[in-house]
Amino acid sequence: MEKKLTTLIDKALSRRSFLAGSSTLAAATVIAGCSSGTDYVPPTPTPTPTPTTPTDADYLNYALNLEYLEAQFYLYAATGSGLAAADIAGGASSGYTTPGTLTAGSAAQVPNLTPAQQQILNEIAYEEQSHVRFLRSALGASAVAMPSIDLSFFGPLAVAAGITTAATGTGSFNPFSSFDYFLVGAFIFEDVGVTAYSGAAGLLTDKTVNLPAAAGILAVEAYHAGYIRTSLTGRAIAAAGASPATAYPYLAAANQVAALRATLTVGDSAAPSTTGSVETDLILPTSVRTASAIVAADPTHAVGFARTVNQVHHIVYGSATVGVKSGGFFPSGTNSIFATTTA
Amino acid sequence: MANQETQLLDEIIVTNRRKMLTLGASSLAALVLGASSTKAEAATVAYTDTDILNFALNLEYLEANYYYLAAFGTTIDVANAASTAANAPLISLTGTVGTAGTVSGGSAVPFSTITVGSYAVETAVEEGKHVQLLLSALGPTVAVAQPAINLGTSFQTLATAAQIPGGAAFSPYASDETFLVGAYVFEDVGVTAYHGAAPLLTSAANLGTAAGILAVEAYHAGLIRTTINYLDPTATGIASYTNLISTLRATLSQAGLLGVAPGTFDPAPDDYGLATFNVSLGASANVTATRLTDANPANVVAFSRNTTQVLNIVTGGGAVSGTTAVSPATGVFFPNGMNAGPNGFR
Repeated sequence: MEKKLTTLIDKALSRRSFLAGSSTLAAATVIAGCSSGTDYVPPTPTPTPTPTTPTDADYLNYALNLEYLEAQFYLYAATGSGLAAADIAGGASSGYTTPGTLTAGSAAQVPNLTPAQQQILNEIAYEEQSHVRFLRSALGASAVAMPSIDLSFFGPLAVAAGITTAATGTGSFNPFSSFDYFLVGAFIFEDVGVTAYSGAAGLLTDKTVNLPAAAGILAVEAYHAGYIRTSLTGRAIAAAGASPATAYPYLAAANQVAALRATLTVGDSAAPSTTGSVETDLILPTSVRTASAIVAADPTHAVGFARTVNQVHHIVYGSATVGVKSGGFFPSGTNSIFATTTA
Repeated sequence: MANQETQLLDEIIVTNRRKMLTLGASSLAALVLGASSTKAEAATVAYTDTDILNFALNLEYLEANYYYLAAFGTTIDVANAASTAANAPLISLTGTVGTAGTVSGGSAVPFSTITVGSYAVETAVEEGKHVQLLLSALGPTVAVAQPAINLGTSFQTLATAAQIPGGAAFSPYASDETFLVGAYVFEDVGVTAYHGAAPLLTSAANLGTAAGILAVEAYHAGLIRTTINYLDPTATGIASYTNLISTLRATLSQAGLLGVAPGTFDPAPDDYGLATFNVSLGASANVTATRLTDANPANVVAFSRNTTQVLNIVTGGGAVSGTTAVSPATGVFFPNGMNAGPNGFR
């Protein structure tokens, strides 16, 4: 499985290098991180070794890294620019005071949105921006700065998922190019966010403030995931019901993303979600009597999935290799004690 | 499983005590449960782990029957061709605690769109599985029986209270649109109920299960709100009803705080319908946003409710009299109240 993935990533990387043009440094980072498995040393100083028992602040900072990524994606999609400078600097005692760089790639406001679609993008962007601010406020001086984020990784990731030009019409995969592409881009994140919070919630020791907050953000991520999956399914039904019926390739593309995520969910064999599937494929219902698959949950009990910090890092780095410190959406790694995958 | 669940519930209890302690003595005095001394107060928190899981089970009975009736035209304990074709679990009503009741009202919705029909089928199956999970986790001697559930006239009572136009004749089983409104009544409440319970669990394994169900309820809520928004983007029809329902829920929920200044729970309003609101993004000024997520607009953390707040919503105000909690709370969806162990729910 690892070999197959490495092959996929290699293909993605060559595609990415081609697309990235001058961004050779960033591409090299991903190559070092993803395909060789060697320890790429990021420019940011690596913090002290991982303590035996991570603190709540460590988990909240891990969540903050993910929220930085989501917020930048949605803010660019909604407005064409990202987080304000005041929202990305690190706290004095965080060990990561200087913000990383944002590689925008082709990130831009999604064109040709209807007013209703624009309002939806505005909402999700606002909500992820609010999560960044909420976590930063909760962490105070311990809040890490935004790590370097590469929004051009969507292309290589899509290629790794097997999403080809043919599958999504014309042009290469770009989540900022249309509403449908945007939905697939958002699909990459939302179910993962749900599983990340689900996996981390139980590890928080403060059950009066931190745990309720994490559970509340978990719920919001699931609302978002429900929205994205409902939209993809609804638009596929509408296309199939049109006269003449048309195919909606974005549903299949999302399922290819889900398959890649499942492949990248490695390590931590005792984790709940590695005992079975961690993904629920979207379905195109063909009648009022057949079920859709909006919810991503285990098929036996309809309980949502969870992922460990390692598994989430494998996904956002786009690498199943153990010992990787960076790559994918985080070309210098996350600003976190969990930055290096250990399983 | 039962052991895990038991641990989970023990943790809930510990957390409840902590929350009560944080309210302070004067606030506690206002609580029907409470006494002003810490020692006595701890003793009055009589919920067991099992109680909390049974509370969730009552809610899942309600939700599952609504979706089974709408999608298949049958209750969760009676299979028919439609439920069998959808592989919906046939629930054996093995719970024995309390008084078994019947489900009244409800009928198959004549779905006209694949979109809404398929969502109903999916949700029915998932809520059925939640009932199965809780029943098996608790075991038949500990699990509550399915209480009397009103899924007919209850909607008219609620719609009238919410001031939905034509509320006295409102039926969620009439069309795709009305089915969505009926579903809207439940899903956000499920999110807040699990959110209120999850932090009380001390076992990571049990907490994981609760968090996973919380996620599923939020997926459902997102699904419902998204679909209503797509069908009525200008909020002139069913989307406007969501505002009315959320306002009613917020009112009932705040009454459930029993006049105590909210500590760990949210101040009013703790519920928002689909009306748009204005936000600032990055360096951008005010822009208009939908409200597909039901969360605190200040920090965008989902709302959380305690058992009294949830009870007051699902009984249409039956859980509170003045500043006193009523137990058993009866009304609307639970005409005889929820089934509970010896401690009851309040």
